[in-house]
This record gives sequence, structure tokens and C-alpha cells, in this order.
Amino acid sequence: MTAFLDARTLASGTVLEPDIAIIGGGPAGISLALALASTRLNILLLESGGQNFDPANQKMYAGSQSGLSYIALDSGRLRFLGGSTNHWGGWCRPLDAIDFQARPWLPHSGWPFPKTALEPYYPRAQTLVEAGPWLYDKAGSSAATLGQELPLGKGGVYTSWFQFSKTRDGDLPTYFGHRYQDDLKRTHNVKPLLHANVTGIRLSANAQAVDHLDVATLNSQGGTGKKFTVKPRITVLACGGMENARLLLASNDVMKNGVGNQNDLVGRFFGDNPIPRDVATLVSFAGPLAPYYGANLALANGPVVKATFAPTSAFREAKQVAGSLTTVEQPVELDEDGKAAVITTAIALGVDASNAKSYSLGCGMELAPDPERRLTLTDEKDALGLPRLKLTMRMADTDFHLYHATLRELGRQLLASKAGMIRIHRHEEWSKGMDWGNHHLGTTRMHADPKQGVVDADSKVHGIGNLYVAGSSVFPTYGASNPTLNLVALTLRLADHLKKVTA
Amino acid sequence: MRRRSLIAGVTAAGAALAAGLYRFTDLFVKHYPPTPYDDVLAALVDREEAAKLGRLMPDAPPPAALAAQLRTAIKPNGFAGATESDIAADRLAEVKGWVVPQSVALLSALAAKV
Repeated sequence: MTAFLDARTLASGTVLEPDIAIIGGGPAGISLALALASTRLNILLLESGGQNFDPANQKMYAGSQSGLSYIALDSGRLRFLGGSTNHWGGWCRPLDAIDFQARPWLPHSGWPFPKTALEPYYPRAQTLVEAGPWLYDKAGSSAATLGQELPLGKGGVYTSWFQFSKTRDGDLPTYFGHRYQDDLKRTHNVKPLLHANVTGIRLSANAQAVDHLDVATLNSQGGTGKKFTVKPRITVLACGGMENARLLLASNDVMKNGVGNQNDLVGRFFGDNPIPRDVATLVSFAGPLAPYYGANLALANGPVVKATFAPTSAFREAKQVAGSLTTVEQPVELDEDGKAAVITTAIALGVDASNAKSYSLGCGMELAPDPERRLTLTDEKDALGLPRLKLTMRMADTDFHLYHATLRELGRQLLASKAGMIRIHRHEEWSKGMDWGNHHLGTTRMHADPKQGVVDADSKVHGIGNLYVAGSSVFPTYGASNPTLNLVALTLRLADHLKKVTA
Repeated sequence: MRRRSLIAGVTAAGAALAAGLYRFTDLFVKHYPPTPYDDVLAALVDREEAAKLGRLMPDAPPPAALAAQLRTAIKPNGFAGATESDIAADRLAEVKGWVVPQSVALLSALAAKV
């Protein structure tokens, strides 16, 4: 087993010539490195941070923003080995097949391939995120011993399931840096280089290939330390939905608008999953819900699960709604108006609601892709001279309206099954308690047409022969599922492609 | 005491007692003055609670219009049938956000207005 290399110990002017340089040691970068570990390729994994949090390094993520209030740009992601898995919640769920389809009611939607193209990679991705056996929407039967599912009857909303990343110690969740550091050290062909900040992607004069990467370290005073060069055959950008765009935009010496930005798409279509809290109140007429609605519960056969309410594909198509995952939050007390609504409705349905129990509902929503929700560069520079980012954040009223229809259908189904009812809160109330998933999506979107996407269906940057992008920045449409499991699967697909093109 | 006065006194006392008993039973079964819509309002088991819900719909149509709409809805299969039909056909109302069958909303609004 070999130790990680520290870029600060390299001599300035060093030139490294790996077969593949992976920029970023988060879940995408680490998954890719591990997937290529069995090959003859020399892999250099360039990680800007060390093995632990460093405030000076983290500060390079700082940026500005305008529009809708959003998390500070240096708060929603982490710049050290393992990347943002160092603070993720471990929520896992595969994207739905419809998430990949072009949906006429959702402009700019659709992936260049169907979900079936990703399915072969989910089992390995599930292993890497350590979410246990693949159950998801089959978890209901395993969870039945813990309590009965809320009957929803026929309709457009069904009970779906999250699984949660679980380390071998039983601690949640899997921090990729800590978890896979020994695996990386054991490989014969992967060289992780810590404290190595890529500051420029330098193209050949004809702008058709990456010639080399500029790399720098931070010195102890917080300024530029060592500078060296990496000349890889292939480069894979894997440093997150914000930083991937930043590096491409900032590398503008040959392509004046930035690498891969010939069609002004890099940084646009920024996406995340809004998590409005207390969107509705759910009343269960029969009393308390099964515990897996409100909490993450370990099943006897290992996986940790939580139930959620999701719109079916048929409902999404028929009602033209976006994806959403509605979760039960905490018990709440009803006011007099609420009690009157419950008593009157339960009597009308002929059911006893004397033991009724009420809960607030939260949600993870899918945003519609929006080119004006975007990242741009500012004149302000970080410690290594890279321009800082500005995020222009916004969310359309239609995003809320599309979700409202799903909540209403959930309410209808509860009435139909005489199991309960819901109160939908005003959209203004949703915004007050708005949280975000810190899922940075879409800024180097995937599309077969270079005019509509930064990367092609193989994740290769359009027009650049040896530059790829890994991670959720390539998601052209977002879905409501948490991205980590999906981006790992997509990265494993990229690994297969790279094996082919380098064979 | 003259006989006529005695009879009048006993009658008055009886009437008072009956009125008192009537009010006493209000504790168990609420009594309402008659309305032109009692045939519809009879579907309500708890008119007080329904009226509370109905008061959340201040802009509801006038009672006569509500009753007419309800009579049409209830006619085929009664109030329970109307409620089930509403749910199946997605005829739902949002009353201060509460998603309820349209018939329940209309009947509650009527209860609040009479």
C-alpha cells in the first residue's frame, strides 16, 4: 500500500504525463479512479484539498449570488478528498425512466439515452454508496413487519422508497474519501495527488484537444505555492456542478468564451432540488403512520429505508407535472379549522377519525431546466488567481404549481381509500421554509446536439477530443432523486467508455 | 284560585318545562330552526363542525344555489354516493387548503349560511 502524494512536495516546473488525469476526488472522481484501477492506464487523481477540511482551501469556493436566496457557494460543497460526500445525508434513489425522456411540457428536458443505458451500472454504484441490497420500490414488503403502508388506492401517486448509504460500521453515510482511501492506495495504477489545484485547462492551438493542465498548490500564507504541469492523454473533469463550469469558463486563452462554451451553455441550466418544508399537512384517520414514513429505519435484512410519495410516470405525463418526492416530517396538532375539516370529511366518508394523527409534509422537487439560472465568472479572484463564480438563482412559479397538482392527487387518493386527507399550504409558506439539496446539476449538460449540450452522450465535451466531464453537472434534466447514486452509475458508464477508447 | 287561572298557570309551567327539556336535549342533539334546505342539511351528522368548515368559504354561492347544486349531486345515490363520485371524478375543493370532496364543501358552506 502506498501513501498519497502531496503536490506541495513536488518541484515547481514538474511535468506529469499520465494516461488519464481526473480532476476532483469526490464521488465521481473516486468512483472513476477505482473503476479504472484494473486497467493498464496510468491514472492521476488530482484533488485540490487534503484528507481533511481546510478553511483556506475551502475559501476558494466562495462566490457571489443574486436572485432567489440560496446557500453560500462555499457552504454547499466541500473541497477535500471525498468532496461533498463529506457532508451528504446518504439519501439514495435511482432516477425514474421518465426522468430521461424528453417531456414536451418541460422545455429543454431529456437525456440523450434512456434509463436502460444506465441500469447495468446501478448495482456497482449501489455497492459503492453502500446502500445495501437493491430494494427501493420493493422495500414495502420487507418493511411490512414494521407497520402497514398508508393505503393510497389507484391513482397518480404511489409509495416509493429511499435507501440510505451505510458504512460497514453502521454509521451513516459513506464518506468516499475516508471509505476508499485504502482502496486507492492499494491500486497499482492510480496516483492520488492531494493539494493539487487545477487552475487552467490549456487547449492545443486548434482548440480540438486538451494539451495540458496548469496545476498549483496553496502555500502556508494562503498564496500560490508550487506550479507544475500535467500533460494527460485524456482529462476528466470531476469537481462538482459548480467547479466544473468554473474551470471551463476560466480556461479562456484559446476559446475566448471558455472551453466547450462555443454555444454559451457552460454554467447555464444550473439546477438543484428545492426542499420546501411544511408544504402540506397529512391526516391519517386510523392513527399514527408506520415509523418508516417519518424516520430512516433499518430493515432486518440490512438496508436503511424511508417511505416517500412519488407521482407515477403516467400521472406525470397526463398532468404534465415534474418529479417530486414528498416525505413525512414531524407530527403536528390541528387547529379548530383543521379539526372541523377532518370531522366533517371523515363523517362524510363514513370512517372513524377519533384517533386521527396529523403530520407535516416536506418535499424534494424537480426544477424545470432554465438557461437563465446560471453560473458566470466575476472579476474577483481566489487565492490562486481563478475568477470567482456568481450564481444567478431563480425559480419559476410553475415549479410550485406543477408540484401542487401532485399534492392534490395525493389528497384525492387518501380520500378514495378513506385513509386520510391533506391540507395543502400556500406556496408563500413553502418558500419561507425553503431548503436546498445542495445538488449542483446541469451546468455542463449532456446533449447529442452541440448547440444544446456541453457534453455528448459519452460525457465527452463537444469539439474537444480528449476532455470528459463526470458528475451531476452533465444531468440535462434533474429528476427529484438525490443525485449521488445516479452520478456514480453514470461515472461507471464513463469508465467503460474510457476503457474502450484507450484499448 | 279560579279554575281558569289554574289551568293557565299549569299550561304555562308545562310549556316552560317542555322548552327547558328541549333546550336540555340540545346538549345531545342540536336543534335548528327549520329552513328551506333541511332535506339537504339532513345529510349532516355534525352540522356545527360542518358550519365551521363552511365559514372558511365566505365567498360561497347563496344558500339556494348551494342547495340546488347539492340536490342534483345527491339525487342519484345520496350524499355518500355523491362524495364518492366527487373523489372518483376529481371534483375536489380546497377549503383553506383542505382537499375535500366538492359535495362536502358545498354542504359545509350551506351549513354555515343558514
